Amino acid sequence: MSTPVKSIVIVGGGTAGWITAGRIAAKYKANPANISVTLIESLTINIIGVGEGTWPTMRNTLIKMGISETDFMRACDATFKQGAKFAKWVDGTPNDFYYHPLMLPQGFSKVDLPPHWQAKFSHQSFSDAVCFQEQLCEKGLAPKLITTPEYASIANYAYHLDAVKFAEFLKNHCTKNLGVRHLLADVTGVISKENGDISALSTATLGNISGDLFVDCTGMSSLLLGKHLQVPFVDKSDVLFIDTALAVQLPYADDESPIASHTISTAQEAGWIWDIGLIRRRGIGYVYSSRHTTHEQAEIALRKYAGSAVDNLATRKIPISAGHRKLFWKNNCVAVGLSAGFLEPLEASAIVLVELSAEMIAEQLPACREVMDITAKRFNETFLYRWDRIIDFLKLHYILSKRSDNKFWVDNRNPQTIPESLQELMQVWRYRSPKNCDFTSNNEVFPAASYQYVLYGMGFKMDSAYLDHSRAPTDEALAMEQINLNSNAIKNALAKLPTNRELINKIHKYGFAKI
Amino acid sequence: MTTLVALNSKKHHLLKIDTGEVESQGGHLHMVPVVLTEFAKLSLQYPIVVTKNQDNGRFTCVTLFGLEKGENLFFNGNEWNSIYLPLQIRRQPFFLGKSEEDDKRVICIDMSHASIINENSMLKENGKKLFNADGSETQYLADLKNILAELSEGENTTQLFIQELLSMNLLQPMQLQIALENEQSFRVDGLYTINEQALTKVTSENLISLHHKNFLHPIYIMLTSIGHIYGLIDKKNKRNRNV
Repeated sequence: MSTPVKSIVIVGGGTAGWITAGRIAAKYKANPANISVTLIESLTINIIGVGEGTWPTMRNTLIKMGISETDFMRACDATFKQGAKFAKWVDGTPNDFYYHPLMLPQGFSKVDLPPHWQAKFSHQSFSDAVCFQEQLCEKGLAPKLITTPEYASIANYAYHLDAVKFAEFLKNHCTKNLGVRHLLADVTGVISKENGDISALSTATLGNISGDLFVDCTGMSSLLLGKHLQVPFVDKSDVLFIDTALAVQLPYADDESPIASHTISTAQEAGWIWDIGLIRRRGIGYVYSSRHTTHEQAEIALRKYAGSAVDNLATRKIPISAGHRKLFWKNNCVAVGLSAGFLEPLEASAIVLVELSAEMIAEQLPACREVMDITAKRFNETFLYRWDRIIDFLKLHYILSKRSDNKFWVDNRNPQTIPESLQELMQVWRYRSPKNCDFTSNNEVFPAASYQYVLYGMGFKMDSAYLDHSRAPTDEALAMEQINLNSNAIKNALAKLPTNRELINKIHKYGFAKI
Repeated sequence: MTTLVALNSKKHHLLKIDTGEVESQGGHLHMVPVVLTEFAKLSLQYPIVVTKNQDNGRFTCVTLFGLEKGENLFFNGNEWNSIYLPLQIRRQPFFLGKSEEDDKRVICIDMSHASIINENSMLKENGKKLFNADGSETQYLADLKNILAELSEGENTTQLFIQELLSMNLLQPMQLQIALENEQSFRVDGLYTINEQALTKVTSENLISLHHKNFLHPIYIMLTSIGHIYGLIDKKNKRNRNV
């Protein structure tokens, strides 16, 4: 006798909850196995609603849920994001910046560009020499035209969005089009089975809600996985020091103010400030290490960055802790979103981890309880690997900085705070560029190209004595050709693409066609 | 710069239009928007396809005279080698506008258009008059009004036609990779046509709807007219040979 998994109960009505509900419900909508998806949203707890940056993966997530891009962009105040600009991370001087764009370097699969770039083209920044997207961002241009079909692109893109509106939009879509049952209740207790599985959740107003698989999307409280199942939190604040966010929403001067086409991340004395442009406002926040600065100083830094427009606006302080649960799936409960863990939003890893989790749950949903522990084991292995890789990649941004205006930066370079896996990679990369062979798992999050953008953007150089080691002379012409192709791509793109604001206005007026 | 004014029998009673110039102006276009009522006539020579308006992304039916911007393979620099000229070319320099006072439709004229012959012009002998000496309309103007009316009504029907095609998923992007005999090869992007496969799978319900709206005929005309793209390539090859 086996016990089929038919009823999925998700707790939490934020981004994580609704993306998970939507992916599972869309996958099994027409399935005769009658898989039901229920989402319980709290009456009293508001969603955190600060996650505003996505990855390009979001396009596929929306397609899989059957959502029109026009509808999504209109409802969620969404704008285009073509990467991140890191300002003042190297030495803090006014012209100190680099880009991590969303496209691979030109000819990435054909030729190993970095050694050629370092030898001959390093008067130009790496990302500008090998990718046309930096110029689009610098000029505030959109990644496509109004004639480009929905979800298609000229330059690869992700979104910035209003997380509160996004949750509301997904709620509507999931309940109206995907058959998700939406319950409003506060979970007051958990009823367990003998084997430790969750049998049902008790609520004050709707009685007991039973299910076969429970998804914990309760945010930082981690109600089911953390509190009930007692899965411990693995603290990573010894690697990533940031523990507080201070956020404010800054309205634009007028309706036609330019909208940045990328996330701007500006290093500060004890952390960095994110700056995300939506349609009507910018979302700005200082994430800092309270071990290295005071709340008062952080407030001053944020207000200095935002300018007088926020003089009368209140900031919102959110305590955060870097780290993740020791397991993400235990018994018949899996955590998605902040209940699984949190990392500073330096590379917008929060929502993409939600998408990856929701996808894996939807694609590998165990048919019955008997095989669930195997799925759980795989899920845990996959996501522990992913969290570790993300932590490495985030740390990479700090270890190459030359800043010493605060101990925050000095401490970040202390080898004892750098994961061994990253230290090993850094040693290898002294003699050659990051390559796909460095990242061979099926579960990689950041490709080798991302490491190249950050390394060379931060001014890292390969040992010049060994440069010829990886610089095949036969590739020189090929490398030159890629650099030329890129400069042509820049010219073509600048000539035809509208500004981010212009395209957003047109999307609201006309919309994209499906073809 | 275009200068648009409402047509007025007093103000414009001496104005003449050089119809040869009207045709020459159209000779520099590689495509023009067309309406359903002209499909049958267009299909004698030109491909009829769908493209998107560059400003708003909306679909519109067009007929092709060439394969790249500015190329018109039916115009040799002096005259058109064609049986039928689309309404959109013949209507120049007139179009329908809205009156500022009562929102009624009025005929407007583009006074900067090269076909306008004003009263002082040396070319006064040529050209078509708009008004007779007694102030009444000439046959030329009456014909033009019919063209404008057909276009205006046709644009609405053509939009409905496109909406129907979209809602039934009957449109698909064209993959046009063209190789000329001089070994030049290029891609033509941004054109759409009927998805023949999808058309064979249209439900009976949708088929009846298309039939009742008189949309079946234009669908098949569009499909057949695609063959004229080979005609364009042939003309382009010949033109290249003569250069």
